Amino acid sequence: MSTTSHEATGSDTPTVKMITGTIDGTDVTVPEGTMIIRAAELMGVEVPRFCDHPLLDPVAACRACLVEVEGMPKPQPSCAVPLGDGMTVQTQLTSEVADTAQKGVMEFLLINHPLDCPVCDKGGECPLQNQAMSVGRPESRFTGQKREFPKPINVSSEILLDRERCVSCARCTRFAEQIAGDPFIALLERGAQQQVGTGEEPFDSYFSGNTIQICPVGALTSEEYRFRSRPFDLVSVPTTCEHCASGCSMRTDYRHENVMRRQSGDDPEVNEEWNCDKGRFAFPYLQLERLATPLVRENGQLRRASWPEALRIAADGLAAARGRTSVLTGGRLTMEDAYAYARFARVGLGTDDIDLRARAASDEETDFLSGEVAGSCGPVYRELESAPAVLLAALEPEEESPIIYLRLRKAARAGTKVFSLGPFASQGLEKMAGSLVECVPGDLATQLDQLDDETAAALSQPGAVILLGERAATEPGAFAAMSRLVQRTGAEWAWVPRRAGERGAIDAGCLPGLLPGGRPLTDETARQEIASLWGIDPDELPATAGRSLAATVAQIHADAKAASEAGEEEEFSPELAALLVAGVEPDDIPNADQFLTALDSVPFLVSLETRPSEVTARADVVLPVAVVTEKSGAFVTWEGRRRPFGTVMPQPTSFTDAVVLALLSDYMDLATPPREVDDLRTELGNLGAWQGSRVSPADVPAGSAQQPGSGEAVLASWRYLLDLGTMQEGEPHLAGTRKPAVVRISAATAAANGVEAGSRVRVSTDTGAITLPVELTEMAENVVWLPLNSPDSQVLVSLGALPGDTVRLERGDV
Amino acid sequence: MSISEQTLAESRELAGRYPKARSGIVPMLHLMQAEVGMVNSDVIEACAEILDISTAEVVAVATFYTMYRMRTEGGEHHIGVCVNTGCGLLGGDALYEALAVKLGVGHNETTPDGKFTLERIECQAACTHAPVLTVDWEFFDHSTIAEAMDVIDRLTAGEEVLPTRGPAVRGWRAAERTVAGLDDGLADEGGGVDELMLAGLKVAKAAESGVDGTVKK
Repeated sequence: MSTTSHEATGSDTPTVKMITGTIDGTDVTVPEGTMIIRAAELMGVEVPRFCDHPLLDPVAACRACLVEVEGMPKPQPSCAVPLGDGMTVQTQLTSEVADTAQKGVMEFLLINHPLDCPVCDKGGECPLQNQAMSVGRPESRFTGQKREFPKPINVSSEILLDRERCVSCARCTRFAEQIAGDPFIALLERGAQQQVGTGEEPFDSYFSGNTIQICPVGALTSEEYRFRSRPFDLVSVPTTCEHCASGCSMRTDYRHENVMRRQSGDDPEVNEEWNCDKGRFAFPYLQLERLATPLVRENGQLRRASWPEALRIAADGLAAARGRTSVLTGGRLTMEDAYAYARFARVGLGTDDIDLRARAASDEETDFLSGEVAGSCGPVYRELESAPAVLLAALEPEEESPIIYLRLRKAARAGTKVFSLGPFASQGLEKMAGSLVECVPGDLATQLDQLDDETAAALSQPGAVILLGERAATEPGAFAAMSRLVQRTGAEWAWVPRRAGERGAIDAGCLPGLLPGGRPLTDETARQEIASLWGIDPDELPATAGRSLAATVAQIHADAKAASEAGEEEEFSPELAALLVAGVEPDDIPNADQFLTALDSVPFLVSLETRPSEVTARADVVLPVAVVTEKSGAFVTWEGRRRPFGTVMPQPTSFTDAVVLALLSDYMDLATPPREVDDLRTELGNLGAWQGSRVSPADVPAGSAQQPGSGEAVLASWRYLLDLGTMQEGEPHLAGTRKPAVVRISAATAAANGVEAGSRVRVSTDTGAITLPVELTEMAENVVWLPLNSPDSQVLVSLGALPGDTVRLERGDV
Repeated sequence: MSISEQTLAESRELAGRYPKARSGIVPMLHLMQAEVGMVNSDVIEACAEILDISTAEVVAVATFYTMYRMRTEGGEHHIGVCVNTGCGLLGGDALYEALAVKLGVGHNETTPDGKFTLERIECQAACTHAPVLTVDWEFFDHSTIAEAMDVIDRLTAGEEVLPTRGPAVRGWRAAERTVAGLDDGLADEGGGVDELMLAGLKVAKAAESGVDGTVKK
């Protein structure tokens, strides 16, 4: 997110020494340290393998890849021996020794492997099955009793293990230790009894599903997919994960119009070959109760309606409220759908009241996103990996953007120093060997300004990166303070939202005062460009910046108050007469009850949704739209990288948001806007980068933490990756791997409030209370942390408080 | 948690002996086993906490080595009979069978009174003294069936039993503390090296020595 970001790293790349060896009589030149198996791949020779994985450290556990190396007395594992300069290697293609050795190993591996391929989930896509065909014997010589185990065992509520199928390659255990940092599975016992297993705790890792995908046999399966399909009956479509702004490449496998499973895609620039369990397993929501037809309200009740009827009512209602409508798009739209809303709001509804943020937000953040984030690009994942130091501010990557966590952990293992501004050192930070810079919620801006010299010096190294999370919106002055820190250190920076659709919607112009392509609403050139793109006169664009979500809610409440004061005989005309709402979950919004009463009292409410929700229940017209598998589009990662994806399962009867908005335009007798994804993308792309002046963020003074009184504490909170999010519904086995909700306070804070280890703590406000078991944590004094949206801990709903607010703290009922 | 403060303190001391604390897992498991009698969930969790590793990693180590008892508590005395090739051929197999009959238990089983645990053990690096019987890991060299029966009888009677070398038999749990690397102050008790053990070394040195008697480098 600066002009110099991509130059700094290139020149620092160390020169690589190249060496030349000979494989099967052909010279091959590779970087020094390249394993023989990789060098052979480069020249098109495939050596059998099970334990070898390019992203895991070599272990030479399975011995399937034996090759003959000149001068060495015995065949060598090609996955663990680097090709040397002048080394002569012969694989199974040219060496009988290697060929015999590989066949011998395969025979040994199959001795204890059950012949249950016909009922095994891996059958049809199994490396063991495939390589037994290529290097195994046609018939087994083994006549003894195979080793058996009771099957299967749950290593977690989601992951199952059939031990007799395991070939002890240690891919899963190495992944857990080296990549995820969650070594909750290990190779137990020895000899013939050697088996993968857990200790006293289950394999509750956010990344556990990857072990299934890299298992070269069918030993690891998921509760979700086990026995549900054969690989050759699946249709596979490359997709992009819709859950967070990490932007994982994925593969969606479906059968009979049902998504059966999702796997990580292979994208070295983004998620490498990994994804998180939310992305992998949280898809049943796509098939939960959907809205089948449009609904319209009649005599206070919603009833089914035809598309023409519903569109007519919606179009008439919105046309009557032209200039007095507010648009709330949520953070989950594709970039193209978001762009359709940005355009429809300004052209179709004559309003600039549009906000993509269904979460805590601030005007300061609006300026920052408009001025600094919209249309920007970089730093990227690779730069995180090569950064000498990374500062996390208001961001817990493992919980809020898991692929950033994986990349930072990889970086930390290679020497990157990770710092985090937060109330305590989270498990994720410890797994990145990171350092905590203690920061009480509310104090972030001050802490950024007063960052200690050691951390600041680390950030002053070329290539250092600051990552600012979306929770910074509740930290007064944080954006300005970060800009000052960037100036002081020269570090790169990026803003990391949680939802997949936020970055794309910002680029598409779904913020008040921000037109598509980073163009300010108030800039004459920008207005000209946008107006000519949309075929309207610049004067038809709204003149001044519109309302945010919070301002919209406040206006509706003000209108309602004014209406009740006006009395019945006067004709009252509200400032806001209609709302157009896309996928918004009210419980994610601070003061959800205020939001819901606003939905109740706004004169006309149109909801575009996939499933029944608290918004659709209050709407005058509900128009069903496509879920992510039924449409194409693009999400934009936190880096600003576009992640286009295609339709998984085309559904002729389901429309994208853009198509529905185009239909509404037709019914409102407006010029039809583009409605197909390609057209929308082209139109947005034609805008190009904005070179003109940008919104300059107001210099908000740095906030500082509240000073809680006796029996009080400052609230700290963020979401666990696996929580009560509506897109995780329908997958109980995944829910079983959630972290338990606890209250974290320091021992001193506990003692001061009469709380002992093992007791429960009651956290309360005037709105309500949450009581949870305490976990005494080394952390800032007079701060209380609890998960934001977990079972028994829904902070926004139950407490009506935001991080940084003061809450009451006392010992709970035992 | 059933592990005493003293054992926990000693465990932390053990962990502190290594550049990386996790290296202390092997002695630590012996130490906790000395108190608890086996490696149970309490031991696994205590080790994991002190060493800051996962319980799975503790179990991986504990189940790999045969000296950790994962399923049942060890008896008062541990009776080991080497059944590897040398000892087995020279009487170890017969010795084991005789002890199994005498004690009424099999491999890795403990007598109902909790007095003895019998185990077929692997090479104790004392092949020159085959067959080898160990009681609480003290050596009974060139053991015979009659001698072994006598050792069992005297242990049952609570008499002091001296091994061929090393200190008097003290019970398995006490021996486990020594195995854990805690100084029992008994290193010089009961003699140690004998001529048989040194015979091979002497042959090797003679072969290495030059005519003038100096050792080649």
